[in-house]
Amino acid sequence: MQPAPGGYRVEGVRLAGVVSTVPARRLENQAFEDRLGEAAVADVAKMTGVQTRYWVEPGQTTADLCQAAAERLIERLAWDRASIDGVIFVSQTPDHALPASACLLHGKLGLSPHAQAFDVGMGCSGYVYGLWLASCLLQAGLKRVLLLAGDTISPLLDPDDRATAVLFGDAGSATALERDAAAAPLHFRLGTDGTGATELIVQDGGFRSPCGPAGGIAPTLKMDGNAVFAFTLRAVPALIEAVRVDAGLTAEDVDFHLLHQANQFMLRHIGKKAKAPPERLPINIGKFGNTSSATLPLLLTDAVAERLSGEAATLVLAGFGVGYSWGAVAGRFGPLDCAETLYL
Amino acid sequence: MSALYAGLAEIFEVDESEISPAAELAAFNWDSLAIISTLALVDEVHGVLLDGQALAKCETVADIEALVAKETA
Repeated sequence: MQPAPGGYRVEGVRLAGVVSTVPARRLENQAFEDRLGEAAVADVAKMTGVQTRYWVEPGQTTADLCQAAAERLIERLAWDRASIDGVIFVSQTPDHALPASACLLHGKLGLSPHAQAFDVGMGCSGYVYGLWLASCLLQAGLKRVLLLAGDTISPLLDPDDRATAVLFGDAGSATALERDAAAAPLHFRLGTDGTGATELIVQDGGFRSPCGPAGGIAPTLKMDGNAVFAFTLRAVPALIEAVRVDAGLTAEDVDFHLLHQANQFMLRHIGKKAKAPPERLPINIGKFGNTSSATLPLLLTDAVAERLSGEAATLVLAGFGVGYSWGAVAGRFGPLDCAETLYL
Repeated sequence: MSALYAGLAEIFEVDESEISPAAELAAFNWDSLAIISTLALVDEVHGVLLDGQALAKCETVADIEALVAKETA
């Protein structure tokens, strides 16, 4: 099969390490039964696979989670902070309307004035977008980049909406990427279908519909689960196949397919369609819920951490959802110098 | 359509004998989870993706079959 247009090959970029962080407050499914009823919670848990999730306390933000992850990662890698040339913060839950949280984090992490720092407002596909942007920066001449990705969706949830209330968790992450001429090539594929923008949306809180202190509107996440599911089935198996073809891989060549942890039922279905056997398609949504842009780093630091710490593995990472937006990367990753999940 | 009936019986957690063209979906808790499961089932059995909103409007098993027939035509 010939590669379809839209694939990009990146050379000389090494993923050195990843740390994920989850907040301390752990919630079991029982915590939702009073509000939603035992049967409804059981139904949603059966479909989504979510058993527990970790939520931030009031005042704790995505940037806090990512800062803790970055501190740990820099320490584990023994990176000189002055050697970090760039910080990308990928999130839909930044600290402020402005400035960019990446700038705040640059200050808190004590990075050098020559380091560039910027935010990218992406969710389910955000981690792959972050890897792509970091790779482009490294190809352009930067030597070391920190990718900070995560979200705290819990404050945006309607406690009476069973489709979302039980599904989401909060998490942050930090990923270290550096220029390395010996690194294996990475193959990226990214795409968008903006006609699906309203199917998964927090309508208020931006400038189209601001929420002032006296405005009385609490920004709330709304999701048309059927529409998002149909989009996913349409887009994701083809995305996985395309990025494998770009990389010259068959399904059997891939040690692990790491897919955005959106919904267990959906992941199993995609796995079948993409010919990814269950033992090579790890699922950890049961532990953490859907943590938006942090699901892929949480797979790296939880589900496949042991393997990647010891040796290299052929991976396909795919993120897809809100936007609609999607991205996938295929290639040889590891061994990582650090792959760790921190429970704050 | 037997694979479809078997799949629907599994989704609705009833015996396959209860699935007939005239069967009313409302009697089987035809909620968003059942609709998503049916989307996946039809994709698996017939290789077509139904429109979620059109599927949600189905009232009987025959309506689902008609929708599938329209998509596979």
